[in-house]
Amino acid sequence: MADDEKKGDDSKRVVNTYPLIRHSDMSDETQNEAAEIVTTACEKFAANNEEAAKMIKLQMDKKFGPPYNVVVGEAYGFEISYEIGNVCYLFFGGNIAAVIWK
Amino acid sequence: MAPTVNPKTAPSQLKTKKADKGKTDDADADVEQYTRTKTLQKPKDQVELTDSQLKEIIAKTLTSINPQIPESEVEWSYAQMEFVPAPTIGHMVMVFRQEGGLLKKDSEEARQQMIEMGMDPAELDMESVEEEQIEEEEMIEEEEMKGEEVEGEGDVDEEKAEGEEDEKPPEAEKEEEAEEDVEGEEVVVKKPEKKKGGRPRKLTNLFNFCERAALTTTNPSRSQETQTIPPPMATFSAVVTTSFVYDSYMKDWCIQEAEREREKREKMGLPPKQVIKKTPQQLHEELQSRIFKSARILERMINQNTYVEIAKDYRYWDDPSDDYRVEEGTVLPLWKFEYNKTKKHTVCDLEWNPHYYDLFAVCFGYLDYSKPVGGGALCLFTLKNPSFPDYVCMTESAVICVDTHKKYPFMIVIGLYDGSVRVYNINISCKEPAYQSNSVENKHRGIVWEVKWAEDLTDGELNFFSVGGDGKVNNWVLMQGGLAVTTIIELHLDQAPVAGPDGTTLKVKASICCIKLHPVNPEIYLIGTEEGSIYKCSVAYSSTYLMKYEAHQMPVCQIDYNKFNTDIFISCSMDWRIKIWEDNRLEPLFVFDIGDRVGDVKWAPYSSTVFACVTSDGKIYVYDLNVNKYKPICVQAIVSKKKNKTTKLAFNYNLPIVVIGDDKGCSSVVKLSPNLRIPCKAPKKQQDLDQNTLQLMKLDKLLAVLREPSTLILPEDTAEKDDD
Repeated sequence: MADDEKKGDDSKRVVNTYPLIRHSDMSDETQNEAAEIVTTACEKFAANNEEAAKMIKLQMDKKFGPPYNVVVGEAYGFEISYEIGNVCYLFFGGNIAAVIWK
Repeated sequence: MAPTVNPKTAPSQLKTKKADKGKTDDADADVEQYTRTKTLQKPKDQVELTDSQLKEIIAKTLTSINPQIPESEVEWSYAQMEFVPAPTIGHMVMVFRQEGGLLKKDSEEARQQMIEMGMDPAELDMESVEEEQIEEEEMIEEEEMKGEEVEGEGDVDEEKAEGEEDEKPPEAEKEEEAEEDVEGEEVVVKKPEKKKGGRPRKLTNLFNFCERAALTTTNPSRSQETQTIPPPMATFSAVVTTSFVYDSYMKDWCIQEAEREREKREKMGLPPKQVIKKTPQQLHEELQSRIFKSARILERMINQNTYVEIAKDYRYWDDPSDDYRVEEGTVLPLWKFEYNKTKKHTVCDLEWNPHYYDLFAVCFGYLDYSKPVGGGALCLFTLKNPSFPDYVCMTESAVICVDTHKKYPFMIVIGLYDGSVRVYNINISCKEPAYQSNSVENKHRGIVWEVKWAEDLTDGELNFFSVGGDGKVNNWVLMQGGLAVTTIIELHLDQAPVAGPDGTTLKVKASICCIKLHPVNPEIYLIGTEEGSIYKCSVAYSSTYLMKYEAHQMPVCQIDYNKFNTDIFISCSMDWRIKIWEDNRLEPLFVFDIGDRVGDVKWAPYSSTVFACVTSDGKIYVYDLNVNKYKPICVQAIVSKKKNKTTKLAFNYNLPIVVIGDDKGCSSVVKLSPNLRIPCKAPKKQQDLDQNTLQLMKLDKLLAVLREPSTLILPEDTAEKDDD
């Protein structure tokens, strides 16, 4: 039983490196693209959330047109007004939450 | 130019000082006196000098050469790759500089100006030459003058000469003017020449000018703007912490795990759709119940509108003619309740719900054994919806009797024609009974004529009594597993056993038609039989009864305890008679001959002396013993005499209405007129008595006359006899 649990934990840790979309009203295509960008940015700047956010913002601006806002962090609260169809709130890597909106 | 001090002049100055000394001796003495009193302070590094040293004259020479400037300075030139002499700075120091507005006459600029003014510069030159000549002459004259003056006065101040010089210019000017006058002719002559030099131009006056400006009309400005619709916006907010992120990942992981398992199962070939299939069904049911609820409200609203006049009658209309008729009353027919599926059935029992005053239960069965009708039903109607029953419980067999639990108004027990009993919990379902007696063993071997809920057992279990055509009184307890039955008593007729077909002897059983539990004492109950006797029994004795009233010649249809005095009860029978009894008194107090089979009789809940009965000729009879002991105060046909029979009636507990059932499946609600429900007036001496006591007093007063003998002699206790 204990072994099984351990295995489960391990697999959980491994599994946690994918982006988990919590809330989004983007089109599927945009959403996937955004998730990909977040993945790349957060992997590249694992230790620097600010840089990661910057990168996500720039990439999103480039691909879908400015102005995008990006928040990347571990613990925060927010209330935003966004243009409909342009919000994505997702978790990544088991401890990072990113919110992208226009 | 630099000032120089001639050293030779210094001694002469000193000499003059010495000469002055004599004059100032007195003053010096004063100074000395003054200085002696004071010691002069000297700085420490004061140089001590001897008198000769002090008196030595040090000459100071001022020259125009700046000694600070290095001579023959050179600097390295990279271009020539050698030392070259550096440019000298010069010895001149500029202290003050001011540009003047004067021009030299013979300068180029002056010449230009001349031309602009229209003068010939050449002429000017000539003039200047002449002037020079004149000046020279003057100079000579002056010198001559000077010479004379020098000769005249030896030490003439230079100032004087200067003064003369100052005086001179006016003379010179005069001379010049004169010369100009002289040259006037020449000017005239030279005029054409001057024109050649160009027109005289005015020099600009720098201090006198005026500004000129013009203002054009200003164009009126106009603003034009448009506004576009902003893109649709929405707000989104969340709070996130690491733990929350972790939790959501865990949840997601669980979902994934479940999906994986499902996939596995699908691979194994197991149908995993059970879980999914259930939810829409449940949802559907939920939705249906909601729709059902709102539809029901809507139906009630429509009914209220349709039957608005009846509703108003029910609420407000009191027969005004009652004021003129003293001892008579009427009933006002209100709604009629019918159910399409039970139109051929007979109303076998009626009962108002003890909790909801507008709800009543109706049993549909049949009483005419020669014309059986298939199936039966229990319907619960509400006054708010006369068109359709609120609850319908369909049964396979005819429903003969019903009773609603007082504490739990949703628990309804029914007795069926086939001898079984059923308990419905209409809160849960009308389709399936909550409890049902076993159709083979635990049932009456005859029609269940009446069921009555009993007081709850000590441990809270619900239980009820039922009586059947097989002469048994059964007590049913609602256990978790089902109904547990106990036979309380099995009634036998007091006659010799009848010989059976195969030589055995059988005790003839009594067929019980009705049962009434004592409202106060839970042990006592009355049962009426088809033979016409009424038995008073106790739950405690299972073999015998307490008392037997030889009441009627035909089956007893109904027994009812008086609502105020529980010693008084009323009975009715197919033998056209209604009898009022007192407990333990074998003779009836009242006997009324109605003239037709009496289907049902009930005491009114609001008066101790009012009761009503229905007969099979479709009439309702209302008696008030206080008003008339011999005649009913109201006789009214409810249904047509030829076609229908009225079978049952029930007083509402709160309202002055009675529901009457007939053999065509129709229940009519009638309203009692004010004369039928006169409240008791308190006597003048005892105004403080409440209605209950007054009602009791009223009945007692009435019965006191009738009791014969007035004191009751109790009959022998048959139970003790049996024990012996």
